[in-house]
Amino acid sequence: MNRKKDKGFESPRPYKLTHQVVCINNINFQRKSVIGYVELTIFPNVVNLNRIKLNSKQCRIYRVRVNDLEAPFIYNDPTLEVCHHESKQRNLNYFSSAYTAAVSAVDPDAGNGELSIKVPSELWKQGDELKVLKVYIEFSLDQPKGGLHFVVPDIEGSMAERGAHVFSFGYQNSTRFWFPCVDSYSELCTWKLEFTVDASMVAVSCGDLVETVYTHDMRKKTFHYMLPIPTAAPNISLAVGPFEILVDPYMHEVTHFCLPQLLPLLKHSMSYLHEIFEFYEEILTCRYPYSCFKTVFVDDAYVEVSSNASMSIFSTNMLHSGMIIDQTPMTRRCLAQALAQQFFGCFISRMSWSDEWVLKGISGYIYGLYLKKTFGVNEYRHWIKEELDKIVDYELKMGGVLLHPTFTGGKEKENPAPHLHFSIKHPHTLSWEYYKMFQCKAHLVMRLIENRISMEFMLQVFNKLLSLASTASSQKYQSHMWSQMLLSTSGFLKSISNVSGKDIGPLIKQWVDQSGVVKFYGSFAFNRKRNVLELEIRQDYTSSGTQKYVGPIKVTVQELDGSFNHTLQIEENSLKHDIPCHSKSRRNKKKKIPLMNGEEVDMDLSAMDADSPLLWIRIDPDMSILRKVEFEQADFMWQYQLRYERDVVAQEEAISALEKFPTAASRLALTDILEQDQCFYKVRMQACFCLAKIANAMMSTWTGPPAMKSLFTRMFCCKSCPNIVKTNNFMNFQSYFLQKTMPVAMALLRDVQNLCPKEVLNFILDLIKYNDNRKNKFSDNYYRAELIDALTNSLTPAISINNEVRTVDSLNADVRLILEEITRFLNMEKLLPSYRNTITVSCLRAIRMLQKNGHIPSDPSLFKSYAEYGHFMDVRIAALEAVVDYTRVERSADEFQWLLDMVQNDPTHYIRHKILSMLAKNPPFTKAAESSLCNEALVDQLWKLMNSGTSHDWRLRCGAVNLYHTLFGLTRPSCLPLPELGLVLNLKEKKAVLNPTIKPEQGPGGPELPPAMVFTSSLEEEHVVMEPLLGGLALVPGLGLKRKAETPLGSPPEPGQILQEEPMVKGAIKSRFPTQDEEDIDMDTVHDSQAFIYHHLNMLDRPSTPGKEPPTMEQTLMSMPATPVPLFSKESTSSSKHGGEHHHHHHHHHHHEHKKKKKKHKHKHKHKHKHDSKDKDKDKERDSHAFSNSPASGRSMRSPSLSD
Amino acid sequence: MLTGERPGGNKTNTSPAENYYLARRRTLQVVVSSLLTECGFESAEKAAVETLTEMMQSYITEVGRCAKANCEHTARSTPTLSDVVITLVEMGFNVDTLPVYAKRSQRMVITAPPVTNAPVIPKSLVAGQKRTHPAYIPSHFPEFPDPHTYIKTPTFREPVSEYQVVREKAASQRRDVERALTRFMAKTGETQSLFKDDLTAFPLIAARPSSIPYLSALLPSELELQALEETDSSEQDDQTDTENNHNNNIHDDPGADKENAVLPPGGVVPTVKNNEENVIDNPYLRPVKKPKVRRKK
Repeated sequence: MNRKKDKGFESPRPYKLTHQVVCINNINFQRKSVIGYVELTIFPNVVNLNRIKLNSKQCRIYRVRVNDLEAPFIYNDPTLEVCHHESKQRNLNYFSSAYTAAVSAVDPDAGNGELSIKVPSELWKQGDELKVLKVYIEFSLDQPKGGLHFVVPDIEGSMAERGAHVFSFGYQNSTRFWFPCVDSYSELCTWKLEFTVDASMVAVSCGDLVETVYTHDMRKKTFHYMLPIPTAAPNISLAVGPFEILVDPYMHEVTHFCLPQLLPLLKHSMSYLHEIFEFYEEILTCRYPYSCFKTVFVDDAYVEVSSNASMSIFSTNMLHSGMIIDQTPMTRRCLAQALAQQFFGCFISRMSWSDEWVLKGISGYIYGLYLKKTFGVNEYRHWIKEELDKIVDYELKMGGVLLHPTFTGGKEKENPAPHLHFSIKHPHTLSWEYYKMFQCKAHLVMRLIENRISMEFMLQVFNKLLSLASTASSQKYQSHMWSQMLLSTSGFLKSISNVSGKDIGPLIKQWVDQSGVVKFYGSFAFNRKRNVLELEIRQDYTSSGTQKYVGPIKVTVQELDGSFNHTLQIEENSLKHDIPCHSKSRRNKKKKIPLMNGEEVDMDLSAMDADSPLLWIRIDPDMSILRKVEFEQADFMWQYQLRYERDVVAQEEAISALEKFPTAASRLALTDILEQDQCFYKVRMQACFCLAKIANAMMSTWTGPPAMKSLFTRMFCCKSCPNIVKTNNFMNFQSYFLQKTMPVAMALLRDVQNLCPKEVLNFILDLIKYNDNRKNKFSDNYYRAELIDALTNSLTPAISINNEVRTVDSLNADVRLILEEITRFLNMEKLLPSYRNTITVSCLRAIRMLQKNGHIPSDPSLFKSYAEYGHFMDVRIAALEAVVDYTRVERSADEFQWLLDMVQNDPTHYIRHKILSMLAKNPPFTKAAESSLCNEALVDQLWKLMNSGTSHDWRLRCGAVNLYHTLFGLTRPSCLPLPELGLVLNLKEKKAVLNPTIKPEQGPGGPELPPAMVFTSSLEEEHVVMEPLLGGLALVPGLGLKRKAETPLGSPPEPGQILQEEPMVKGAIKSRFPTQDEEDIDMDTVHDSQAFIYHHLNMLDRPSTPGKEPPTMEQTLMSMPATPVPLFSKESTSSSKHGGEHHHHHHHHHHHEHKKKKKKHKHKHKHKHKHDSKDKDKDKERDSHAFSNSPASGRSMRSPSLSD
Repeated sequence: MLTGERPGGNKTNTSPAENYYLARRRTLQVVVSSLLTECGFESAEKAAVETLTEMMQSYITEVGRCAKANCEHTARSTPTLSDVVITLVEMGFNVDTLPVYAKRSQRMVITAPPVTNAPVIPKSLVAGQKRTHPAYIPSHFPEFPDPHTYIKTPTFREPVSEYQVVREKAASQRRDVERALTRFMAKTGETQSLFKDDLTAFPLIAARPSSIPYLSALLPSELELQALEETDSSEQDDQTDTENNHNNNIHDDPGADKENAVLPPGGVVPTVKNNEENVIDNPYLRPVKKPKVRRKK
């Protein structure tokens, strides 16, 4: 552990940011472009601050000034292309380390950034006096692929009439995608934000809206925002659109925004927000930290909820009317989550990535308290169990989740989580799934801390943190108090020990500093002689994702005389624990049995063992360990537990255990629970599915009507005619949920032929037929959707003869009925769409199931049409899920390609992300099995996707990495031809070894790769691979070619733009690590910004009408790939697959020509940089003039990030 | 003889009416002829006689019409002598000379016109019993109109009120309507098919992307809104019995029932809002400022 001790926050930067102005003075919806500038006010911490590193991605920067002096700058982003494309490496280990290195190279928390600005030498003197520097950067964005998302519906009318809007988004710190900043959660400053937008639009951003002013032509408005509370750049957000405005009727400082026509829904959905506010303010005894709060509901949202300083951006799909039941609690939960993050996450920010768990933990924990208060203790405990199961399943499957990774200084390579195929060192390298689990674990650990120190202390700690932060926030920068607003693990723990006086060190060590969960196996025996319960608790701590637990564990034993808690110590070698029993076994004594909660109940004790007083035993009933317990007790004990234990968690555990005991007694216990309306509705819902399973297992001995049928009839059908369901009345929500669930569970019943019983199918068809919602206050869309799900569940594989083609005539009579219902539902949905198109979603799933079971021909075209852009999000996802499934079942290369194309091209970020995650969950093939789909082209395509195709979206890139891992594993994909070289030359140790990166993975089925030869150079991270084919040396990781070097240089007419000429002849090596080689410049960026200025000047003169870009640009672009290089035909063809990256050909050529030279020059070059750097400025001045008229200056409209 | 009573439409009369008309005309011609004879004419051209006849007829018609008008003006239905007198006076005729003229010695007596059949009024539809006035209506009031104008004869059968049948019927009716409608839509528009061999078997209306898909997916359809209004009005009686068992649940299981309690009734905005609306100070509601006039550099 390497926590900083009380030192407070130490900035990795040689300066401190105090204030930033962001001014966006033009947002063009037609072109999807943005122009603006930022001005950062910084205080140097060192004398002679000569270099300022900032974060910026995607932005075209065309002017930087420091205190009104033009400043040269360098833009280098190694994450654009992680491994240079000429590399033939295709293994994930290699990619992950390169990617981590690339992210580190621009990590603001390490003081790095993509943009390096040289402070003009005139100002160096000023530096001595540590004066304020103002860094002014003009920038623009054109068709941003990340950071900002434009939604522009393709219809007639003005942008406002079309409902066009734009909003910022991103995963973790992604603000650099839309304006240059210090993109770190730990660099706080005050903000002035200005947005000039069309007069019909509203710009919503962080802080207080000071004023709105018309521009001189009265066509536009400028929104001026001030954010006086120091805030980190990642917490800044923006939404612009023709929003309808709703001032919260209860809190006038809260304003809600939604897209046109949705105001009634907004009014209803937000009518509850004030109660969440009140709740948090009350438990935290702290006012909401910002002076205002804004909620904005946007289409095509990146995530359902994103919380930023004083505003939250939600998906518009969460809005609902008063008739909708199911969405209501979900929307409220999202609101509560967003608001919790306002306190912890936005107002209080984190010190470093390894402290993220504290903020996620606290916000998740107080959100849990809100759930408990609003939805009740049952719901809360159910939720905790659900979350616990989730994290346990994930960790046991994928390996541990580490909340507080520590990275000891020197050994960069040390990976705290070696079991994962990605690095957990940065948020941007994490898989999304892992991050979700991380958040889940964080709040569960907070709950464990609460268990230890009590809720009262817990809330006191939060209050203390908040009041410290709010005192600090009101201070001027000079008082150096702002770091109080940053929360670190050590600061949090110190607060806890100060407030509670308790040592939670072991707990933190167990759950925070260590990954993994605990897996218990429990069994017991009753010793009648000693009247002692002999409990044996074993642990599995060798499997992946597990850890050893030593410490107390609570065991609750329900005996005849009452319920008793015992705290046992789990120690190194003790497995057995003797627990004395309180009651003698006695039968036939009619006496009520006291329960844990003091209730006394009558029980029928005939089922229990005559010799034992034990009714049931629970291990760790309070879930105060992150564990999975597999406990063995007799079926009757589970049945007693289900019937009489009042804790919903115990009931749910009992239900899952009873699945293994298909007996009449289990059936009775489940039926009783189902009927008991005091029982928590989610338990009853779970009981439905268990009952269906038991019924199937007891098929031969089952008597009476199909399970649940008579129950459903009694509860929901008419008294006079039991085959007809009552007209819908969903006033009682518990009944509603049960009514929805029972048919779905019933449809899982099977008869002796393994078919759904005819009786059940007819019953469900009748439910659909007689469904009547006319008198209902609520919409029945979810109910109808579940009835379709029930039909889907009733399907069984068709009996197929000789694999004949499925025709209408061969349709089974029952299936025909089902298909008719589905057709009608799906068609009706076109005329009267249901809320969130739930019915279409269910119909699509049903159709896929019909296809899969061979009732109708398997065909993806229907799903593909529903998956198109322009359908509702849920529908698209359901359709895509069907296509993904089709791809796997039919092994269709076409559909797989179609999906991958969509990943690259779809306008909606969420869809792209979702396709990748669905593919990873339901992969068309895996590394363990051979597949015709797995071929070299696919490997190249996926590699390219994660290498450069997804550089604008961290989440998407990690999704691509995940998919690659699922398909090919960590090592070189088996379908690739063997690399012709596999020997590694370790120059440091002067010996050759087999390339460790292409060592075959020890997995079943994966064909072993013969050893390949690769050379490892002595330089860290630098591998030199011999390529006999080319007779030269290719450079692999760490050292990429300076690929832009040989392009004709162009230079802007403005002074201050710099260019480097030096690498031109040498084809010098560009390091992707600016720390090593700071003088590099990405020529393309300069060109691009150059071109953009020219273009932009043109553009500003023209009215913003729809139209193409100036043709000259397009032509110059097209003319680039004119001459492929015939010499290296293999290379050329491989790179020509990289459609659009034409200029790469160019470099390629030089690349090979200079291959040998490069090797020689590598070291020289390095040295040169060192002594060159001082002379360089002069050179630059000269050079910039020399090339000012180059025709290439207007070459490209595209930035490197848009290269495909 | 008041010809004014029967105006126009002569040509369309059936033949008895035509006969009646011709007879009257003939009588008038006779009268004119005798008057001419009285005045000493020995012969007259047919056209002249016709013209005089026409004038005579017009005059008499006008007298009748005016007399009728006068009578109705005084709220009566049958003209009296005085009505005729006033009419004559108004037409500029010296009434006093009339008795003398009537008793002149040389006047010719003409025979009464032959009695012709009065035109038959087509029989109106006879339906039901014609009602007489009840005692409290004076007899001079007009009679009731013909019964066929107001009586009704129910033709439907007694509705079936058996619950099962009603539900059955409602369900199948709705299903038929839905099926017909969707079939129609499918027939008239683009479709997708689940089967390759028979494209018409289970026609699906083709999925068509919309520009703003969230609107139709989120906003309640008109039908739902309409249904909601209907239920709102009928809610009172509908809820009474469900409310009872519903309440039981709340008392029995307060923990699990929270979800019910937190739903506000229909998202009603508190009434405070209206009162305070004027004082809400929200920066987004403030008017947009005019640009400041800046001096150019």
